[in-house]
Amino acid sequence: MNEVVEKTAPLTEPAAEGIAQGPDKAVTKKEPKILVCDGNEAAAWGVVLSRPDMVAVYPITPQSSLAEYVAQFVADGVLDAELVEAEGEHSVLSVLHGAALAGARTYTASCGQGLAFMFEPYFRTPNLRLPIVMSIVNRDGITPQCVWGGQQDAMTVREVGWVQLFCETVQEVLDTIVMAYRIAEDRSVMLPVNVNHDGNYLSNGIVRIELPEQAEVDDFLGAPDVNWHAALDPKRPMGVDPLTGGATGPGPALFVGYRRGHCEGMQNALRVIVDVHEEWARRFGRRYAPLVEEYRLDGADYALVTIGSMAGAAKDAVDAARERGEPVGLIRIKTLRPFPLDAMVTALDKVRAVGVVDRAVSYGWNSGPVHQETLAALQYCPHRVPCLSLIGGLAGADLTEAHFAHAIAETARLLVSPCPREPVWLNAEDR
Amino acid sequence: MSATPTIAFDAARCDGCGHCMNACVSAKSSDAHRAQPRIQILRDDESGRWGIAQCRQCGDPRCASVCPAAALEKGDDGIVAWDGKRCVNCLICTAGCTFGGIAFSPAEGHVVKCDQCEGAPQCVAACTRGALRYVTTATLYNRWGELEDLFVPGLGGCQGCNTELIMRHTLRRVGSNTVLATPPGCIPGMGSVGYNGMLGCKVPVFHPLLTNTASMLTGIRRQYKRKGRNVTALALAGDGGAGDVGFQSLSGAAERGEQILFICVDNEGYMNTGAQRSGSTTYGAWTATTPIGESARGKTQDAKNLPLLMMWHGCEYVATASTAFMEDFYAKLEAALDASQRGFAYLHLYSPCTSGWRFPSASNIEVARKAVETNFAVLWDYRRDQGLKLSRDIDAPLPVTEYLKLLGKFRHLDATQIAHIERHVAEQEQVLRELAAMHPRERRQVVGHQSDLMAVDLDQ
Repeated sequence: MNEVVEKTAPLTEPAAEGIAQGPDKAVTKKEPKILVCDGNEAAAWGVVLSRPDMVAVYPITPQSSLAEYVAQFVADGVLDAELVEAEGEHSVLSVLHGAALAGARTYTASCGQGLAFMFEPYFRTPNLRLPIVMSIVNRDGITPQCVWGGQQDAMTVREVGWVQLFCETVQEVLDTIVMAYRIAEDRSVMLPVNVNHDGNYLSNGIVRIELPEQAEVDDFLGAPDVNWHAALDPKRPMGVDPLTGGATGPGPALFVGYRRGHCEGMQNALRVIVDVHEEWARRFGRRYAPLVEEYRLDGADYALVTIGSMAGAAKDAVDAARERGEPVGLIRIKTLRPFPLDAMVTALDKVRAVGVVDRAVSYGWNSGPVHQETLAALQYCPHRVPCLSLIGGLAGADLTEAHFAHAIAETARLLVSPCPREPVWLNAEDR
Repeated sequence: MSATPTIAFDAARCDGCGHCMNACVSAKSSDAHRAQPRIQILRDDESGRWGIAQCRQCGDPRCASVCPAAALEKGDDGIVAWDGKRCVNCLICTAGCTFGGIAFSPAEGHVVKCDQCEGAPQCVAACTRGALRYVTTATLYNRWGELEDLFVPGLGGCQGCNTELIMRHTLRRVGSNTVLATPPGCIPGMGSVGYNGMLGCKVPVFHPLLTNTASMLTGIRRQYKRKGRNVTALALAGDGGAGDVGFQSLSGAAERGEQILFICVDNEGYMNTGAQRSGSTTYGAWTATTPIGESARGKTQDAKNLPLLMMWHGCEYVATASTAFMEDFYAKLEAALDASQRGFAYLHLYSPCTSGWRFPSASNIEVARKAVETNFAVLWDYRRDQGLKLSRDIDAPLPVTEYLKLLGKFRHLDATQIAHIERHVAEQEQVLRELAAMHPRERRQVVGHQSDLMAVDLDQ
């Protein structure tokens, strides 16, 4: 449908030989199974295909139907996994900590308040280097009371050390969940992965998707490789996570080593994410920009920066503007953590102004979180690029093509007048 | 280490007749001299009870380790043997032994000690009241002694703390096919997960979060079960990690019937962090956060009864135990371990805290015993199919003040506060009495669990 151009910054160059040769060829031998389903069911199918040993769940809107689908798949024998219906999200992730340390491939999903309640073990998960895959069915935060979509949940925890991927489509949700296990369990990464899909718009939007063959997914994923580095196993007795350092301890080097190793794992993930997406395209015929998608940047003077499902309407608005002769493009961030600095700088370097649309708020900066990320990346651009913050889609608010047309117009103004300090609140007049 | 014989003494049966001493003299005397008895009975003026001084054939005998001439040695038969050819009569061994088990005999001209008469101790044969028993094999203590101690020799607990006793005995019995969770508190504080890169025990061990012990063990146990391995999931937690901030995960795992052995070592507060109040702290008690001052006299609420709360979850097994009653503890640990293969097993250990409760470190077991003897801490156990049973008679308790007066944390109590505690103890006692008196079927209905209720239907 589009002009998705793969970004190939130095760090993200395809590593393996032969990958770049010729057009993508789907190696799927049989006709793929076609499903018509919403994003939560697609995610549950992604889980089925990934064959986790254990799934722990606790319901929360808009994730609940995902938990229900997984439970039904276990009940139907479609998924052979231990299902733990824990008494809260805090325990959900804690159960998976134990399971992973005992060697299990694991999955869960949550969002919003559930993620907030889960924070204590969530904080610890990447530090234990547990390759847990967890969907966040993005939801805005209370208060005001709200059970609707928004990305305040995932954005609030973006400094905890998980890999965070944001999907645009229902098909991408399914595919990314499977890919997430390859990324998480890569021995140079060993980090948990959040696969984000927007509450309401992706969780409940029904579309046609293709279901990969189980045997081919098995071949793609391989056996779980989860606790080679830290295990709770009587056959390999060890103490997991003893007290470090302190005034009388062996010095801060040990602790620093762990933190630094974590950062290295995150940086390694950039390469692995690219490689895994490339292999996915080769094997299954669906290609996604792994880090940063550049949409119609050729000849663009300015661009929108988006993340998640809003890119659909935003691309339509860009197409319409292009037809009117306006030189606008779009940058979509798929991988927010680790931050794809090189890919982002390469994209930003192609335009003279950007407007960043956030579905969350950065209270400390009076802007949006992705806006702040973009400002940080712009530091590495050779020329100065004005960068406007636009905030919309909070608490389930729809971001329509009209909203993006407005965003494009606001961004275009940066070429002729100073960049405002105040964010543009896109749904402020939607009553 | 193999099981070795020992001479066991039951003070309650001894009347001080002295037949044992006479028999020993006869057995060890020769024509040349009249022997000094290797067993001495002595009366404790305060309690009026008799005690004995006799070699205990210690596993790691101090008499032997202090002997500069290697004249004392623990043999494969378990007997600590004295070698007259090597002895230099320095008598250091008599100072090394704290049990009066070896002493100088002027008539014989050297130190003497019990050798168990080559497997037929005459003192035991002479005891007509059964106060002395020659215990050969398969006794409780010897069985446990055979098991490997899976903790390192040096744990960093406070002096006199009974938690080390609980940890060592528990892990000995539970064995090495175990994953041990020790949430933040005294137990990892003592070094279970190690310090400075040195591990505290020989089984896989970890710090869960203070809040999620039972949940992490859920994942571990289920994953191994899925892979066909029967690995024991064991928690050694404090009362805060079990009953306060950790209660949600504990309750969830118990409700789901996870196959976990969860041991709560209850020292009635956050003792590792400096003795702050917990939900398990007794009414009136001083803690660092319920201090004594112009307008404050300690904690103003009763402790929650965590073991009873666990019973109402319909666990497979729930029991209370005390280190002053080790045989009872052993039996309950055995039952709990067995139950944890089928469902959730919860053991609640009363653990007096020498540091946080303010009493001399030598008194720990005495404090623990008085807690039980005053019914302050009642020992009971509960099985899903049998209901609650009291483990010992609670009809004639000592006055609660006999317990309270031992502890500095209660020093400030006034008459009203003491009356409050006495009333609370009596109420708890009454609740347990009524639960214990219930017919099993009634109990099933009260302590309802779905499968139990179904069992009632099938009975009809």
